Amino acid sequence: MFRTSDIVLIAVMVSAAALTYKTKREAEEQLAAVQKIHAQIRYEEDTIDLLKADWSLLTQPSRLQKLAELYKSQLELQPVSARQIVGIGDLPAKALDIEDILKGRQGGMADNSDKAPSGDRDPVVTGGIAQ
Amino acid sequence: MIGKLLKRRAKTGEAGSIVVEGARKATGGKGRTRIVMTMAVFFGIFATISGRLVYLGFQTPDMSGGPQSRVTASRPDIVDRNGEVLATDIKTASLFAEPRRIVDADEAIEKLSTVLPEIDYEQTYHKLKSGAGFVWLQRQLTPKQQSDIMQLGIPGFGFRTEKRRFYPSGETSSYIVGLTNIDNQGISGMEKYVDEQGLSDLQASGLAVAKDLKPVKLSIDLRVQHVVRDEIAAGLERYRAMGAGAVVLNVKTGEVVAMASVPDFDPNNPYNAQDKDRLNRMSAGLYEMGSTFKSFTSAMALDSGKATMASRFDASHPIRVGHQAIHDFHGKNRVLSLPEVFLYSSNIGSAREAELVGIEGHREFLHRLGLLDRMQTELPEVARPTEPKVWKQVNSFTIAFGHGVSTTPLQAAVGCAALMNGGFLMNPTFLIRTQAEAMAMARKVVADKTVEGMRYLYTLNAEKGSARNARVPGYRVGGKTGTAEKVINGRYSKELNFNTFVAAFPMDDPQYLVFTIADAPHPEKPGMTDVAAANAGVMAGNIIRRSAAMLGVKPDFSHENGATLVSYQ
Repeated sequence: MFRTSDIVLIAVMVSAAALTYKTKREAEEQLAAVQKIHAQIRYEEDTIDLLKADWSLLTQPSRLQKLAELYKSQLELQPVSARQIVGIGDLPAKALDIEDILKGRQGGMADNSDKAPSGDRDPVVTGGIAQ
Repeated sequence: MIGKLLKRRAKTGEAGSIVVEGARKATGGKGRTRIVMTMAVFFGIFATISGRLVYLGFQTPDMSGGPQSRVTASRPDIVDRNGEVLATDIKTASLFAEPRRIVDADEAIEKLSTVLPEIDYEQTYHKLKSGAGFVWLQRQLTPKQQSDIMQLGIPGFGFRTEKRRFYPSGETSSYIVGLTNIDNQGISGMEKYVDEQGLSDLQASGLAVAKDLKPVKLSIDLRVQHVVRDEIAAGLERYRAMGAGAVVLNVKTGEVVAMASVPDFDPNNPYNAQDKDRLNRMSAGLYEMGSTFKSFTSAMALDSGKATMASRFDASHPIRVGHQAIHDFHGKNRVLSLPEVFLYSSNIGSAREAELVGIEGHREFLHRLGLLDRMQTELPEVARPTEPKVWKQVNSFTIAFGHGVSTTPLQAAVGCAALMNGGFLMNPTFLIRTQAEAMAMARKVVADKTVEGMRYLYTLNAEKGSARNARVPGYRVGGKTGTAEKVINGRYSKELNFNTFVAAFPMDDPQYLVFTIADAPHPEKPGMTDVAAANAGVMAGNIIRRSAAMLGVKPDFSHENGATLVSYQ
């Protein structure tokens, strides 16, 4: 007849089989999930490539030029002329008004040319009017 | 097992326990035959099953998966200097059906038309009912359409992925980027160059994996390239020319920032790419450059040390060699100084300059500037310049004003760049190159003093001479026109010209050089002229006006506004 040890062994065997089955099943599920994610990654990558191509197609200078010409009346955009491009050094000096002269601020720019900038004063010499 | 069973029974008999043998003996013989019969039946069944399995195992299954996916090789993307895509691979899926496996054709088409509404019902129905093993239904689907069709779950439908080369910029950069064939191999332009750099070997060994291929960065700036293409295309129409082209060259590095030639083709649909007039005129077209060559003649005279800015050349009479005579187009009929020869584009004066240097010196100088040798660059479409086999005096005279030798416009531009950038000749490149790299392989071809003189002549010519049309306020443009009589069937045509224009800017320290050509242009309106200043010069001016800011050249009006200059001193 069955002894206790037999029952224990059978129980162990059955549970081991069950565990193996469960593990295998879970591994398969995980594998399927991984494959699904891989497929999704591939799909996303292909989509990214396609969207990049799409983006460069939409931002083609020739297309933008056509659009700009088409909507010229609404947008009122004009090409930048060379005269509109200036550096900070090209800005004219601020015109003096009567208060500046009364307070003795005329030509103040020239004084601080060799000093560090202090307060709101511009350290750059932008040219003087009153010298 | 049966043996065991029998043994056990025997054992129980021997054990000596009380067993009624009679009953067993009465049925014993029959029972044994039953067992044998059962065994035989089961054996038969299993033998049939395994036999069938073996039979099926030897059968070759019905292969009806359609054609195998064409293994198209991956290519690296080609991008411009700012990373804008010029050429890329896109994966497209194509839908096929296996009509033999279609259960219900009507239902399949109905479902399919929810995703592809434009599908032709009747044609598709016939295709699906044809009983063929394989039919294409729709080529080149987007990934979205593909996944939608997959969601429908129609049996008997399948996909094949195909790689296709796509050129977002279309015609704009067609000649530079080039083309690939159906097997995704480069057949022209930079696509071919990339293959020659070992990509084809990689593909052959199957190592060209899309992920590992880094984009190839060109020296082209797509924005400037568009401006150039746009202007020459407009010029082609405006002057009803046979062809037009332009190149923008960075004179400090030898990089080609933009280059275009029209008529061109759409690389996404290159049905006309092999037409006779579809030729990259800038690098593969050979032309007599006309007066633009006077830049080289003047530079040669200055560089030889035999002439200075103060030298004088007698242009009061035509030069006669044998029965040919050399005249001036804008004749002054007097003695001209060297700057005047350049300014009035005097043929006689230029011939006199060449005479001063001598035939051998003239030839050597043009070779030194690389104008008569095959240009070394990445682009495969490069023509070999032609020159007379034996240079006679008359050859030297005519070559002095740009007739008698043919060279490519790109080469002439590179030669002019050497006269502007301090005398360094560098091979033009379509790949990114720094100034240090360029200087490492550059060759000093003319002296600093010559460069200084040439910059002066170009500036002067834009202020007082024929290059005024290319002047752009703020950008200090200098240049030279060239109107050559076009060679048709070996003779100089009196009606048609080949016009060139070279412009450099900003002239105080030239950074960029623009070289434009117009092949057989006509006057824009009746009564106007068709010389280079009126077409090639205008195009060059427009290109500079529109692209200078993008090229990072700062406008400076101090030269044009004397009053400002004084107040800032």
